[in-house]
Amino acid sequence: MSTVIARLSAELRGDRSIWAVIAVLAVFSLLGVYSSTGTLAYLKQGGNTEAYLIRHGIILMGGLVLVYVVHLMNYSLFSRLAPGLMMIAIPLLLYTLVFGVNINDARRWIEIPFIGRTFQPSDLAKLALILYVARTISGKQEYIKDLHSAFIPIIVPVLIVCGLIAPADLSSAVLLFFTCVLMMVVGRVSLQYIGLLLFLGVVTFGVLVTLGNYFPEYIRVETWISRVNDFMFDPNGGYQVQQAKIAIANGEWLGAGPGNSIQRNYLPSPYADFIYAIICEEYGIIGGAILISMYVVLFFRVTRLVTKSPKAFGAIVAIGLSISMVLQAFINMAVATHLVPVTGVTLPMVSMGGTSIMFSCLAFGVILSVSRYVESLES
Amino acid sequence: MDIKNEVLYRVYFLLFGIVVPAAILLLYRTVQISIVQGDTWREQGENNYVRYKEIPADRGNIFSSDGSLLATSIPYFDLYFDPVAPNERDFNLYIDSLAYCWATYIDDTYTVGGLRDHLIRLRQDSTNRHLMIKRKVSYAEKKFIESFPLFRLGQFRGGVIAEQRSDRRRPFGVLAQRTIGYVREGAKPVGIEGYFEPYLQGDPGGLYMICVDRKKDIWLPLQDLSAIDPTPGDDVITTIDINVQDIVENALLRALNYHEAEWGTAVLMEVKSGAIKAIANLGKSQEGWWETYNHAVGTSVEPGSTFKLASMMAMLEDGFVRLEDSIDIEKGKTQFYEDVMVDSSPESEEIDTTTVRQVFQMSSNVGMAKLVNQAYGGQGDAARFIRRLQQFNLHIPTGIEIEGEAAPYIKEAYSQKDRWSGTTLPWMAIGYESRVTPLQLLTFYNAVANNGTMMQPYLVSGIQRNGEELETFRPTVVKRKIASERTIRLAQELLAGVVLEGTAKKLFTDRYSFAGKTGTAQTNYRRLSAERTRIGGYRASFIGYFPAENPVYSCIVVIHNPRAHGYYGSDVAGPVFREIADKTYFATLDIHEPVNTQPKPKLATAQLPSYDFGQRQDIRNVMEYLDLPVYGAPTTDLVMLRAKTDSVFMDKKTLFRGQVPNVTGLGLKDALYVLENLGLQVDVQGVGKVALQSIRPGTAAQRQRIKLTLQ
Repeated sequence: MSTVIARLSAELRGDRSIWAVIAVLAVFSLLGVYSSTGTLAYLKQGGNTEAYLIRHGIILMGGLVLVYVVHLMNYSLFSRLAPGLMMIAIPLLLYTLVFGVNINDARRWIEIPFIGRTFQPSDLAKLALILYVARTISGKQEYIKDLHSAFIPIIVPVLIVCGLIAPADLSSAVLLFFTCVLMMVVGRVSLQYIGLLLFLGVVTFGVLVTLGNYFPEYIRVETWISRVNDFMFDPNGGYQVQQAKIAIANGEWLGAGPGNSIQRNYLPSPYADFIYAIICEEYGIIGGAILISMYVVLFFRVTRLVTKSPKAFGAIVAIGLSISMVLQAFINMAVATHLVPVTGVTLPMVSMGGTSIMFSCLAFGVILSVSRYVESLES
Repeated sequence: MDIKNEVLYRVYFLLFGIVVPAAILLLYRTVQISIVQGDTWREQGENNYVRYKEIPADRGNIFSSDGSLLATSIPYFDLYFDPVAPNERDFNLYIDSLAYCWATYIDDTYTVGGLRDHLIRLRQDSTNRHLMIKRKVSYAEKKFIESFPLFRLGQFRGGVIAEQRSDRRRPFGVLAQRTIGYVREGAKPVGIEGYFEPYLQGDPGGLYMICVDRKKDIWLPLQDLSAIDPTPGDDVITTIDINVQDIVENALLRALNYHEAEWGTAVLMEVKSGAIKAIANLGKSQEGWWETYNHAVGTSVEPGSTFKLASMMAMLEDGFVRLEDSIDIEKGKTQFYEDVMVDSSPESEEIDTTTVRQVFQMSSNVGMAKLVNQAYGGQGDAARFIRRLQQFNLHIPTGIEIEGEAAPYIKEAYSQKDRWSGTTLPWMAIGYESRVTPLQLLTFYNAVANNGTMMQPYLVSGIQRNGEELETFRPTVVKRKIASERTIRLAQELLAGVVLEGTAKKLFTDRYSFAGKTGTAQTNYRRLSAERTRIGGYRASFIGYFPAENPVYSCIVVIHNPRAHGYYGSDVAGPVFREIADKTYFATLDIHEPVNTQPKPKLATAQLPSYDFGQRQDIRNVMEYLDLPVYGAPTTDLVMLRAKTDSVFMDKKTLFRGQVPNVTGLGLKDALYVLENLGLQVDVQGVGKVALQSIRPGTAAQRQRIKLTLQ
């Protein structure tokens, strides 16, 4: 066993703590998905839960391979790839908005030709935008406080991409927007302009709501309103949140034990949006606390990276990717604990879903690539 | 500030200003939900997935004394379809053929295509998860519908939902309907159904259901928690004889129609036991005559002349009168204080002085009132009269097992509260200023018929569970002797006299004897005296018993407000009593004296059935009933009888395949059996036995139509 770990750590470059975070999250993911796909298995696979476990396990293995491959690459490659990715992502987003596949009442997916699998372009766009913003911020460090030469070129792509994601997936758009804002904070953009940007964000949102009244097919204003209503006025937070809270309460401190969740039968998509509640039910507050701390550890390790990274791009891209994951994770958990209205965001690296895990792994890969570079400098 | 530090400050701000506080908030919130509010949420969780489902018990039946079903519960189902339940593959595979079956066999308002599109739309909207397929289907029909494509996959995969309900049916329709009664949600329980609810309802069972799929609302019974089977309700056996009930109800109905009356009631009671054999209540409703209210039990009214029996018995008890005493009836008109009393019969106008017996038999109001006034008019003597009425139990309800019995009303002597006046006593004597229900009055007359022993009237003789006697209600004696033997004997004599030579003499028959009293009460006399007009409403009644010498049944008939063809008790209610008595007397074999005490006459060949044929078992039953000896043991289903000198021989009857047989003389059941077995289609006309057949016997049977004329 110890030789395996020694062998692994010899193979793995970059921050071992981040590797450990990935491993722990993957284990949570496997356990959570295995126990929460019961209803799905019952409905679609004739009760065969293993089918989902195996599929999810393969995706996780693939994801880890992806992390490994990407972390060996030179991260400056991503800086060069960023404009190209943006050129692909924006048309894809437009295409999705108009011709996308409707799943669960939201037009977020497109079907990949020949394979027949669905894919969320917003995941790609998110990665592309973070890379692109990191690239722009780091490239303009000398005159970063300037409005025309620095601020405008940074925010225009942010507003375009977020504006295109928002109609179908408001929560992802808002998360991405805040991720970019926080990247700018770290990238020394003038706080005045950032304040302006927040204001612009609110205006964009207002325009969206107005447009939504005319194009309800494309902009889900009604859903937003009903979810906010549930959050504000229903003491239980609506059916889903009520079920999630029951799950959390069932877990108490130590949890009901692996596979003993009852609430998985009542929670809609327990393997994705409400996986935190299922983990709390089976592993208790202890399990929940470990899960939360994993994301804190991730961000903490990345801040350490910033202090050591000599190049701005590496630091900012690592901050951007990690803050994106942490924000998303916290929002996901905040939904389950009735702190924010119901959104549709997944728990990065934990929720079931191929694209979501692949992009999380890609992000981890990039972060570790930066870390590997910093490490190689130190030694 | 150098660039590096500025970045660091900002990064630490993110870490300690946003990420760490957010993490702490999340953890705090998790602990709050899980521990602080934990009990609340866990409790909500309990209700979530386990629920108790009550299984209603089958309601008990109500039987007549002869074992006919008076009320029973028929189960039926309401079928619904959940278009969202089936999975995509099944739904798409079967929707066309399902729509075809549905539109063809259940609902032809839709075309097949229209229905299919409708179902697809409903599935997409997923708003209606409870689409009505059909209401009130029988078990057989439910099985049929559940065999449709898609539905046959069962409740979870096929989406068909069956909800069981049951209907209370009264196989005899209106017969004793009100007395059988009903129990309905939101309405006061009525009749036997209401009174015996604790027996009839049974105990509901139940089981715990667990929700296995909240989204699709799929519940499965939880196996390990014990399911409690419902205990079916017990059966109630009534004293009602459905044949007698039929007689009573029909006789009453005819009279109500003929006399255009408002409502009427008739009750037939067994003298010795108090068992009610029939109780009919008919009132006019918008749909014609209907059992709308149980007047016999629930309506207490001024009885009128039928009450004179009580007055007379009171005086006889106190020794105030002898039947042969004479009394001046003043040509049928007298005055008590400011009120004038008249006799309703014109006969009185020619009579001055007559006997007490005559006063009762011709029902003279003046005579009876004067007698009572003489007897009890003295200072303080009215109390004795009231005490006598109480001795006859006229002041208390019978306690019949039906909800809503009206209490009788007998004034207290000289009571201010009861507005006792100088005219009270004479009017009470002739049946006014008091109120009793028809059943209470009948109970009193029944006691007279029963030689003074008052029986409790009752409707239910026992409770059964699965055909086994659980409880038996025996006849109950209310009062061993309501009056002295002599009074009773004289009362019986007077009642018999009413029929022999009194107001009911036109009802006399020489076929059997009966005794009774007529009554013709004015229903709105108060208004009458105020307006001094003679537009009167009447309530005609007759109470009696038969046979007079050894009474078996007592019976009351009350007809309220007859508006055509007379209004006297003897004209309106009397004939109904006679019809009931006639038919009951001849239907109830054990009342009869044996017709012949001589030895049985010899069977003559000429009178024995010969060449009659029919089903073997039917023939056997008939022969057994007639006590005719039969010989022969044919093996065929159809048999033919051949008369021998003093017995009947049963022979096999063979039909030639492919030939139309001779069916004349057969009953319809046998004729149909024979002809339809040959593949013929039979048209039938008339009732009785087959008199004519349209195809000659011996013709080749080729699935033709054959017409039978019955006579």
